[in-house]
Amino acid sequence: MSDFITYLVSGIALGCTFALVGSGFVVIHRVTRVVNFAQGTFAVFGGFISYSLLDGILPQGLAQLVTVVACGLIGLVVGFVAIGKPGTDPLIALIVTLGVSIFCAAVFITVWGQDPVSPPGLRGSVSILGADVQRQRLLVVVATLLTFLALSLFFSRTYVGKGLTACASNPRAAALVGINVRRMGFMAFAVGGALGGLAGALISPSVALSFSSDLPFALSGFAAAVFGGLTSPGRTLLGGIVLGVTGQLVAGYLDGSYQTEVALLMMLAIMVVRSSTFVTEEAK
Amino acid sequence: MSTMMAGRRTSTLITRSTIAVLAVVALAMPMLMSDVTFFMQMVLAAIVVTGLSLLMGYAGQASLGQGAFFAVGALTVGIGTTTWALPPVLALVLAPVLASAFAAVVGIPLLRLRGHYLAFGTLALLLMVVAAMNTFDFLGGSFGIAGIPPLAVGSFEITDPRDYAYLALGCLALVLLISRNLINSRFGRGIQALAGSETAAASAGVAVFRAKLTVFAISAAFAGLAGALSAFFTPFISPESFPASRSFEYVIMAVVGGLGALWGGVIGAIAMSVVIEVINRISTQPGLPATAGPILQYAAYAVLLILALLWMPRGLISVLHGVRGRLAAMRT
Repeated sequence: MSDFITYLVSGIALGCTFALVGSGFVVIHRVTRVVNFAQGTFAVFGGFISYSLLDGILPQGLAQLVTVVACGLIGLVVGFVAIGKPGTDPLIALIVTLGVSIFCAAVFITVWGQDPVSPPGLRGSVSILGADVQRQRLLVVVATLLTFLALSLFFSRTYVGKGLTACASNPRAAALVGINVRRMGFMAFAVGGALGGLAGALISPSVALSFSSDLPFALSGFAAAVFGGLTSPGRTLLGGIVLGVTGQLVAGYLDGSYQTEVALLMMLAIMVVRSSTFVTEEAK
Repeated sequence: MSTMMAGRRTSTLITRSTIAVLAVVALAMPMLMSDVTFFMQMVLAAIVVTGLSLLMGYAGQASLGQGAFFAVGALTVGIGTTTWALPPVLALVLAPVLASAFAAVVGIPLLRLRGHYLAFGTLALLLMVVAAMNTFDFLGGSFGIAGIPPLAVGSFEITDPRDYAYLALGCLALVLLISRNLINSRFGRGIQALAGSETAAASAGVAVFRAKLTVFAISAAFAGLAGALSAFFTPFISPESFPASRSFEYVIMAVVGGLGALWGGVIGAIAMSVVIEVINRISTQPGLPATAGPILQYAAYAVLLILALLWMPRGLISVLHGVRGRLAAMRT
């Protein structure tokens, strides 16, 4: 039983980071129709930047905050490259962001080297139903839930958030009422960058990150986002948690080496099953 | 009118002589090199990218996991020649067949996906193939498959790396010939219509799903053939032989060379291979840190890909076409 609780909590914590990365995919895709391959790269930036800042420059908390803002700015730059040239086809933009993520691998190695790093996080663990759970993992869950709450308030209550939602539902109508759709696209990239950065800053104390960690992040985040059809942040959270918990249970009870296969198979299955609902949006 | 005809004839003449010169240079290259590994990798990449270019340029579908089919081809040779003790030639022939059969089976669910979903789906496929190789012992496990015998016809064994380079060149010529005939066929016109608009193609009588599946399987056959050749050449395969970054390289080569052009794949493979080789030479100069290699390599890939996508969307081949057009105009 205590094993089960451990797997469950670590699965939920891992799933929350998938959901944060995934919600970045959703925010960017809703507004720009671009799937941003560099979404995992934002998470790696989050891990690395918080590692450097926590190395005696800023205290815990403030370091993470600065990291998230910095990743938002990086997201903005990625947005300029990906959709800055008007009329870029979304599929071309996907391959451009693939190029961006490869470029960032060069940046990571230049600045932080090739070895995995892990910044300090919350120490110690608490006991839940007889199982020891790391405090850092609980922090991940709480922070993710608060972020999703803030995200939904942002989209429904604030001026910019409403503008983003308007662009997502009908870009032409949004442009007609005076919203600058392109600028909103850049804004979406900034929000996506911040969400990815937060995911990296939160998970890196538990899981060391390296310059090549972006691909697993991008894939699991994309899988979570597919749960929500790349449009719903709420279902992305659910999808991330389902993926994370399933992965941990498979790793714990069956065999750790099946974990990747199971996650990928689930992602493929969901995509194929849901593909009929994508058609209206993707049809040329 | 007659000048136009003459212009076209000169243009064809220029194309044919370019191909002839290319062929002579390609045949002379292995003779001039002390180590043909670089040349071999380039030719194998050209084979894979020619198939990928068909899929991306003609059928309008992106695959980020072309390495999966390369892996199936290599595994066919690896397992076929060791565990099953098949004659090497049979394994070489079987590799593209199995790779395309694999693509046809996984393509049935996968090709329901379009655009970025397909891109991620194929990437997931590649990672699953690699994970399966790591997990299951009959696929070599994490240690891989060693002791692949040299390719042999009867008692004649191919052991000289140069001969493998020539074999690969022959395969590339075959792959280009198949692609050319395919593009010029009725089926080829059907798939070109598909890239423009699936709905329009369907209403013009193109069996959309079957056409996509066929191109997917053909591109997989090419990748499988390249994988088989590489397994004989190296002669060792492990899960690390098929990194996702290699599959991204194929996409970069296809885009840089020019999608939807017969020679785009070859030109992209040559251009990128040469650039990367030059960078490798530079980064191994004494005095540079060990990380200079990967840094310069990643940066070069990324910058060339992004520049090509945004400012040269039809690839190097369109630039070459422009030069050819100007040459032809000068002659008439």
